[in-house]
Amino acid sequence: MADELVLEMRGIRKEFPGTVANDDVDLDVRRGEVHALLGENGAGKSTLMNILYGLYRADAGEILLNGRRVEFASARDAIGAGIGMVHQHFMLIPVMTVAENIVLGVEPRKGFLLDERTAEKRVRELSERFSLAVDPTALVSDITVGQEQRVEILKALYRGADILILDEPTAVLTPQEAHELFEIIRSLQADGKSIIFISHKLKEVLEIADRITVLRRGKKIETVQRAGATEASLARAMVGREVLLRVEKAPAQPGDVLLSVEDLHVHDERGIEKVRGVSFDVRAGEIVGIAGVDGNGQTELIDAITGLMKSEAGAVKVAGRELREASARKMLDAGVGHIPEDRQRRGLVLEFSIAENIALHDYSKPPDSKWGWLFPARLVERAGRIIREFDVRGGGPLSAAGGLSGGNQQKVVVAREIARDPKVLIAAQPTRGLDVGAIEYLHRRIVSERDEGRAILLISLELEEIMSLSDRILVLYEGEIVGEHTPDVSEQEIGLEMLGGRERPAA
Amino acid sequence: MSWAPQTRQTPVGKWLRNPVATGYTGMALGVFAAFLGIPPFTSRTATWSLIVGIIAIMCGIATVTRGRKRLGLGAIATGIGGIGLGYLATRSSVDNLNIVFNASLIAQTFAFATPLVFAAIGGMFSERSGVVNIGLEGMMLMGAFWGVWGADVGGSWVVGLLVGMAIGAVLALVYAVFAIHLRADQIVGGTAVNFLALGITGYFFFQLYHGNYVSQGVSTIPNIKLPWISGLHFLGPAIGNLNLMIWVSFMLVIASYIVVFKTPIGLRIRACGEHPRAADTVGINVYAVRYGAVVLSGVLAAAGGVYLSDGFGGGTFNDNMTAGRGFIALAAMIFGNWRPAGAFAAALLFGFSSAIALRLQVYSPSASTLFNVLPYVLTLIAVAGVIGRTVAPAADGKPYRKQ
Repeated sequence: MADELVLEMRGIRKEFPGTVANDDVDLDVRRGEVHALLGENGAGKSTLMNILYGLYRADAGEILLNGRRVEFASARDAIGAGIGMVHQHFMLIPVMTVAENIVLGVEPRKGFLLDERTAEKRVRELSERFSLAVDPTALVSDITVGQEQRVEILKALYRGADILILDEPTAVLTPQEAHELFEIIRSLQADGKSIIFISHKLKEVLEIADRITVLRRGKKIETVQRAGATEASLARAMVGREVLLRVEKAPAQPGDVLLSVEDLHVHDERGIEKVRGVSFDVRAGEIVGIAGVDGNGQTELIDAITGLMKSEAGAVKVAGRELREASARKMLDAGVGHIPEDRQRRGLVLEFSIAENIALHDYSKPPDSKWGWLFPARLVERAGRIIREFDVRGGGPLSAAGGLSGGNQQKVVVAREIARDPKVLIAAQPTRGLDVGAIEYLHRRIVSERDEGRAILLISLELEEIMSLSDRILVLYEGEIVGEHTPDVSEQEIGLEMLGGRERPAA
Repeated sequence: MSWAPQTRQTPVGKWLRNPVATGYTGMALGVFAAFLGIPPFTSRTATWSLIVGIIAIMCGIATVTRGRKRLGLGAIATGIGGIGLGYLATRSSVDNLNIVFNASLIAQTFAFATPLVFAAIGGMFSERSGVVNIGLEGMMLMGAFWGVWGADVGGSWVVGLLVGMAIGAVLALVYAVFAIHLRADQIVGGTAVNFLALGITGYFFFQLYHGNYVSQGVSTIPNIKLPWISGLHFLGPAIGNLNLMIWVSFMLVIASYIVVFKTPIGLRIRACGEHPRAADTVGINVYAVRYGAVVLSGVLAAAGGVYLSDGFGGGTFNDNMTAGRGFIALAAMIFGNWRPAGAFAAALLFGFSSAIALRLQVYSPSASTLFNVLPYVLTLIAVAGVIGRTVAPAADGKPYRKQ
């Protein structure tokens, strides 16, 4: 492989009001290289890439493409120069076909009409050349997430991308799909394409990257060869201190059954049955993890257990007591704590202060209020205590919850739920979007709550999180529990079950 | 489909198994049942309506049992309605029926529908790009006034049409700045446009014409006389002498279908209305597309307005001349599921109900008022999803903020 540089970014600086997102960052990428950009959330990876892709303008610094200085005023300029980006949140239009999505903006024409046949033909050619199997005529709303990602990659290739930016590409994939993606990346690499691989997952970076550049708080820390780098050395560079990557925990001491779900059936708001006869128990002092690909009934299951959604059939028992016609309020009062999967939309009222957010459950009871009269001073006093106990940083009781970082927002949610001393704690994707340091804290906290004797139900799309935290693992596939395992099961086995027990047929 | 057992199927058998086909056939039959009692059929017993209506209801039941509940219920409802209306028609005298239902009813339906078609197609462009435009009413009203003014001052309906469309474009541009760049609430902004137009046209109508009718003899948009058709028995009065703008509206429907669904620019417009960020990341200028679409909607709505005053109205204007037609056009667009042909069909239906209402005025003013409400009732039914839910573009009404 030639060591020819295709891209150099020199001394990039970008300030946003209040923060320096990139501070004198250098990055160089060689032809045919997979270059990982590693860093925590907010380290400046996305900002750097958005500058490269023409979405932001750097305040200082320069970009050299094949040795020539370039300036991008818009994504269109960057695309024209051969840079493609696959965003973390896919930029696809569900109601349009795969081919339409790919050619959008650079459509083949026949006169003034859109030449659909040529579009489909070219997409088919391209997908065969890079073995990215997708059906050009399928609607995007009908294809799987893994296929959506291929469409995104095809979109970049169709525009003649030589440098491909993949922003957290494995975040939405199953282990199998991630494996397929790595195959695709290798075939692109063999074709001479350069890939910038943004991630905060150490394992996959070590698997796929040739070189790794670590960013921390907007600064470039180092660029290292894969050979010689270890998870521990990369984590240290990312966080700036030694990080405990493994969750330390003693074997579980399961006690009484505190949460019992029996033959639960739940329909989503469109009337489609999403949970189809799920039964399981969670005992005091154990963590039960539910693994599964997004959209297999996790949300509906949680919502039914926490009383946010009505179930069609089945029962939910908390500490042996069946709750009929459960509402969220009844469930809270029965001792179910809930860390919702989307802290910003369901966990917090972002405009409210931390103190108000913490009081969301108990505002209507003494000591928070009496005879319909709220005592704000008591709210603030209690919030102060909780903030100290849970080490929430970046604001006091009266600061708005929306101003906190993701990790600290999550701490507020967790603190609120745990402070009520629940018997059962339901943690839905508790570390989604958090950085290594915050994940470490939350994992330790969840284990220590288990050791306090709470029954913990963990739902996560991150298989690694499920495997490292759970004492028992259930696999949810199309609304049914298709497997139960002890945590020493292999990732491959669970991965297969997450896809319904068989390899997904190539589309 | 490969998994289905391969059995020999007659076309009829296939049709019977398809709930969508039976559902729509049921509805068509239900409507037909109502028509049996009126000219040109003028069945004098309710039996025929009853028979056809029952077939419609059976189609509906077949549809319901095959899983398409809403569609089937819709077919059953039209069947029952068809029987009822067919029966009512037999109670009326043939003379009365001949006055209300004759070939010129078709011409009148087109005449009432055309302003709606223009505005609805305009609204479709705007909403397909992601901007809700309830200011259609105001843009139409401006077109109506300035169109007549242009024809009066410029001496030609061509000038009137151009002036009206230009003013519509300017008003739409003002709205676009608020809705797109300033990210104002689009409902509030659109309402403001409507009141602004009402005020401006009212003021200038008083200033320039003292609130009276525009002077006589203004050049009006001509009718197209088709010599080889106008002499025919039924077609002659129906389409032999339609206004130029009516024919233009037919072409507009076809052209807008091609533009929206068959051209690159249409793909881009729809992309901006569905997922503007996705459009942005592939280098499409979302703001430019939305400005273009909103201005086009203003031009088209205003063209509908010019037709209203200088074509249909014969060169007159009066205060608040559009009287809610912009909103009905909006309803037609929604009823038509943001598609040109759908909007056109809905506009025709609404035009038909207006034409009927006008004729019924002679017999029963209250019934006629009731017919004028029909568009809104139908729109409510459509929005509530009785006949398959209408689906708006995903980013419709959401201002786009560039990163």
